[in-house]
Amino acid sequence: MSLMKDLTRGIYRENPIFKLALGMCPFLAVTTSVENAIGMGAAATFVLICSNFLVSLLRNLIPSKVRIPCYIVIIATFVTLVDMVMNAYVPDLHRSLGIFIPLIVVNCIILGRAEGFANRHPVMSSVADAVGMGVGFTLAMIVLASFRELLGNGTWLNISILGTAYRNQPLLIAILAPGAFILLGFILGFFSILEKRRGGGR
Amino acid sequence: MAEMLKLGLVLMLVALVAAVALGLVNSRTAPIIAEQKEMEKQEAMRQVAGNLSPGDSLRFDSLTVSGLPNPYYSVDSFLRVVKVSVPPDTSGVGYVFIAYGKGYSSTVQTMVAADMQGRIAGTTILYQQETPGLGANVTDPSKLIGSFTGRGSVGILLAKDGGEIDAITGSTITSRAVTNSVREGLEAMEEAGLFAPGALTGDEDLPQQPPCDDVGSSAGNDVTGTADTDSTAAEGGNE
Repeated sequence: MSLMKDLTRGIYRENPIFKLALGMCPFLAVTTSVENAIGMGAAATFVLICSNFLVSLLRNLIPSKVRIPCYIVIIATFVTLVDMVMNAYVPDLHRSLGIFIPLIVVNCIILGRAEGFANRHPVMSSVADAVGMGVGFTLAMIVLASFRELLGNGTWLNISILGTAYRNQPLLIAILAPGAFILLGFILGFFSILEKRRGGGR
Repeated sequence: MAEMLKLGLVLMLVALVAAVALGLVNSRTAPIIAEQKEMEKQEAMRQVAGNLSPGDSLRFDSLTVSGLPNPYYSVDSFLRVVKVSVPPDTSGVGYVFIAYGKGYSSTVQTMVAADMQGRIAGTTILYQQETPGLGANVTDPSKLIGSFTGRGSVGILLAKDGGEIDAITGSTITSRAVTNSVREGLEAMEEAGLFAPGALTGDEDLPQQPPCDDVGSSAGNDVTGTADTDSTAAEGGNE
């Protein structure tokens, strides 16, 4: 039962982006299209699961004084492994995700979950937490990317939605960096209202 | 003291395991990656060169053109040109070369095929790490690189720099890098006399276009021109 709770926590209740505000930098950078959002989300989720698993497994072996360097080495190793393996065996996917894979290292969700959850919980719940957080991160990216791609390019997942007339003069700011901040502000505001309606937030 | 040693030992152990794992995987994947890169290049060459002539069996001969003023640190000062011919006739149907242009966040590599008259027959982007959604659109053949086809070196200049090529919206730096590097490559080949005499080349009565000398610095001074969100800040999506 609590495993279920660990799994769903990241999706809404403690969504890494909308609730914990973790991992903002890759979030804002790569949400220019839904395709990118899905790719980044999948890559980050994979590393998150691996690192949570290993950190949880080693939680009694690593002295707490040197835990952060150990986590960073673990995470960076996984990211590099993913990068090399994908480059060798799935070059097409690697080409479209190439720029995001090194960005995973600086994704503080991964370090945040290693430090905040996996080093105090058993392996199974840590993996469940990683899956939930990864899915939550991916969903949040898809939400913002949908707005940005639709407004900034008139498409969704490369499918034309708003017609060529719009696509010739799109609201370009949505796809540029300032647009990411503005739209994120709206989305966070929306969640804040939702929370208030539900009974005064926390 | 004993604790210090223990901490150091643990850290060393973790790093050691990581290094061994990475080394093992790298030794397995590095040759595969290198081989794929080479295949990709061959494939792109075949693709762009296919526009030169319908022949199935093309022959590729390497040549080297010297004296290309090259502002890019990652490339040597020679332009490596491949002459394409259809056996048994070795007089050639055109040339293929790779142009290197310093874009917003990467050196964009463009593979270019030119016919014997110095006109572009096809282009494809081999490598780029530009901003996804903006500069990365340079790989789209319907946008920038498609409009090079059929032009000689004179015609390959962005509209903002006085030419006729439309830049990709929001990605002037990337567009300019690709456009200028392709033109410079063609110009170097013209100077080397690779193209047929009297062909459509730039050195007859037109003086050298001024912007072609400062591709390296042009990335920074783009804030003027039409304000269609093309300045450096606009591409700030990459961290």
